[in-house]
Amino acid sequence: MSRARAFAAFWSDFLVGDRPELFLGPIIALVVAWLLVGLGVPGGLVGGLLFAGVVLVGALSIRLRMSR
Amino acid sequence: MGPMSSVALVTIVSTFLASAVEFVEAVTIVLAVGVTRQWRSTLIGVLAAVGVLGLLVAVFGTALAVLVPIEVIRLVVGGFLVIYGLQWLTKAVLRAGGAKAKHDEALIYQDSVGSLAHEPPVPAVGMDWISFTVAFKGVLLEGLEVAFIVVTFGASAGLLGPAILGAGLAGLLVVAVAIVVHRPLERVPENAMKFVVGVMLTGFGTFWSGEGIGIDWPGSDLAILAILAGYLIVALAGVQLVRAGVASRLGPASRTGPSGAGASQP
Repeated sequence: MSRARAFAAFWSDFLVGDRPELFLGPIIALVVAWLLVGLGVPGGLVGGLLFAGVVLVGALSIRLRMSR
Repeated sequence: MGPMSSVALVTIVSTFLASAVEFVEAVTIVLAVGVTRQWRSTLIGVLAAVGVLGLLVAVFGTALAVLVPIEVIRLVVGGFLVIYGLQWLTKAVLRAGGAKAKHDEALIYQDSVGSLAHEPPVPAVGMDWISFTVAFKGVLLEGLEVAFIVVTFGASAGLLGPAILGAGLAGLLVVAVAIVVHRPLERVPENAMKFVVGVMLTGFGTFWSGEGIGIDWPGSDLAILAILAGYLIVALAGVQLVRAGVASRLGPASRTGPSGAGASQP
């Protein structure tokens, strides 16, 4: 059990680290983009929004780090 | 140059730069162990770690390419590339802007040597398991990031070979330089390389994950160039904003200094 927990902790640290917003943010941006594609929004517009979403996540993370 | 060879070239460059940064960090640990303890056990530890990493790349790279449909790979793996790329890019922006300390290989080397000094002495005969373990763990942990990038980038592009080639070339170059200079590689512009790799991973991850969810990118593969240029411009602007934020936090005295906030890193 402790090995499984250590394994999970390792991968959590490897992928999420101390900045969970950089893990969750892109996933949320992708889900929103996927919903927009499903609604028939043009690819160029969805792509632009996905790009903007990723930039927003990065900017928020930097702002969070700067405010600490 | 055709679109496929362009992507192959970008794949080689991306994995080369990403791997070079990680190999430099691994070499610092290996040098510290080898110099202070025993080279033979250290090198066996390095070879064992390289073997494990090679196995991981072969197994996961092949499994992804053979068993998982390309659309699924591009969505899932592309998403991971965005996450991973953003981690590298935001850290590089913070470092370039002066809000985060840069990697100091000389300091890391001294710390490693210092901590090894407290270990029991090297046995007169046979393996020194401390050398083996520290070298194995150091190379495995640094190399795991390389393996992750090689597998994800290679699988998403369908170009595992060029991805491995880029990482292999970086490994050979870093090891060759380390053998020649025989000290930590302090002059490698690690942050600039992480900045470039961050832009590449985030850009390609955005493109591939977008394709995975069904985005029909305008201009097809050429959209990658626009995405990469967009992230590069935004990241460079981010460095300026961070620099301005650090300077305003430090107060007017910092602005009268000769080199500005970015150069006043600890």
